[in-house]
Amino acid sequence: MKPPRSVLIVGAGLAGARCAETLRAEGYDGRIRLVGAEPAAPYERPALSKEFLAGERSAGELLLRPSAYWSDNSIELVLGCRVDAIRPRPDEVVVIATGARARRIRAPGADTAHVLRTISDAVALREELHAGRRLVVVGGGFVGAEVASTATRMGVEVTMLEAGNAPFEATLGVDVGDVLARRYRAHGVDLRTGSAAVALAPRRVSLADGTAVPCDVVLLSVGAEPVRELVREGVVECGDAAGGPGHWTSAAADGVAAARRILGLEPLPAQPPFFWSDQFGLRLQLVGDTRAAARVECEGSDDSFTARYFGGEGRLVAALAANRAAEVAGFRRELALAA
Amino acid sequence: MYRIEIDPNLCSGFGACADLAPELFALDAGGTASVRVGESDDPRVLDAAAACPMGAISVIEIQAA
Repeated sequence: MKPPRSVLIVGAGLAGARCAETLRAEGYDGRIRLVGAEPAAPYERPALSKEFLAGERSAGELLLRPSAYWSDNSIELVLGCRVDAIRPRPDEVVVIATGARARRIRAPGADTAHVLRTISDAVALREELHAGRRLVVVGGGFVGAEVASTATRMGVEVTMLEAGNAPFEATLGVDVGDVLARRYRAHGVDLRTGSAAVALAPRRVSLADGTAVPCDVVLLSVGAEPVRELVREGVVECGDAAGGPGHWTSAAADGVAAARRILGLEPLPAQPPFFWSDQFGLRLQLVGDTRAAARVECEGSDDSFTARYFGGEGRLVAALAANRAAEVAGFRRELALAA
Repeated sequence: MYRIEIDPNLCSGFGACADLAPELFALDAGGTASVRVGESDDPRVLDAAAACPMGAISVIEIQAA
């Protein structure tokens, strides 16, 4: 298979960056353009809700690669450029790595509430978070939980509106959800389960049960949806735009896989999904996929525990380590063998 | 020349570094990664740092003695 004369990668997030890097690392010597809508060079999003929001890491410290890397490897970085339409050149492959955008709920005021996806989102949110101010987090996503954790450390009063009975109950199960609920409340969060926002006025969030929460800042954390406007036949899709789960390692692996497909190389062996979240002094690390879980076994204390998720036939399908980083490698091996 | 450091509080033994450059990184029995050599001029140290999902590997460019 002859590689194309040039590759145009739309989307300079993790998946797009990994695609470009892998093309070069595998010896591709054609033209590579990596086009990003944001003004920043490819960077780490996971820190946006944590160290960056807290002011402990600067934008420069989030970069995936030192700035010289891109020119050193003859990767043309085109930043601050939103792509509306694509006309590929002859013998050019187009990669769509446009990622995902934060979802918004259908409610009055939802258009102007904060979301957190990009550096500029994080900067805008940070400007409003000061000690003594009141933040309402709408939705039970990981970004919202991490922002709530960071904000409480900053002295912000936090209310979390969770539609289910406990945080992450649908993903991690009711036992882990109960541990997290206790933990959020112990850190001073006003966690309201079984509640839904119906209107987001600038200084109050109205709930479905008729009550209202006064506040200064509202963050929507209700998941993300893939950005697919540029997807058409013949393009190579990767990362969150291709419907990935929104996890760092999945986007990274998918960018690598896209590059290998373009070059006609064998795919690398699949790794079990991996995901982590730092919140309220807990590092949660999940290996595998809990959607197939029929039974959960927890072991440990509220401050340090593991949860093992078993499928209907008794096979381990996922494992969660909470403040037990040393167990992750073992889980990863076990689940790689089970796959 | 690069100086390689792994933050033990961040490392989760994911193992991407050892997969990429087994001569430079190892996973120990406790499940965390360690550096086999403190300094190297192998450009793969940059790839390993970029590949770490926890951002646990820092690479400092130093003047060769």
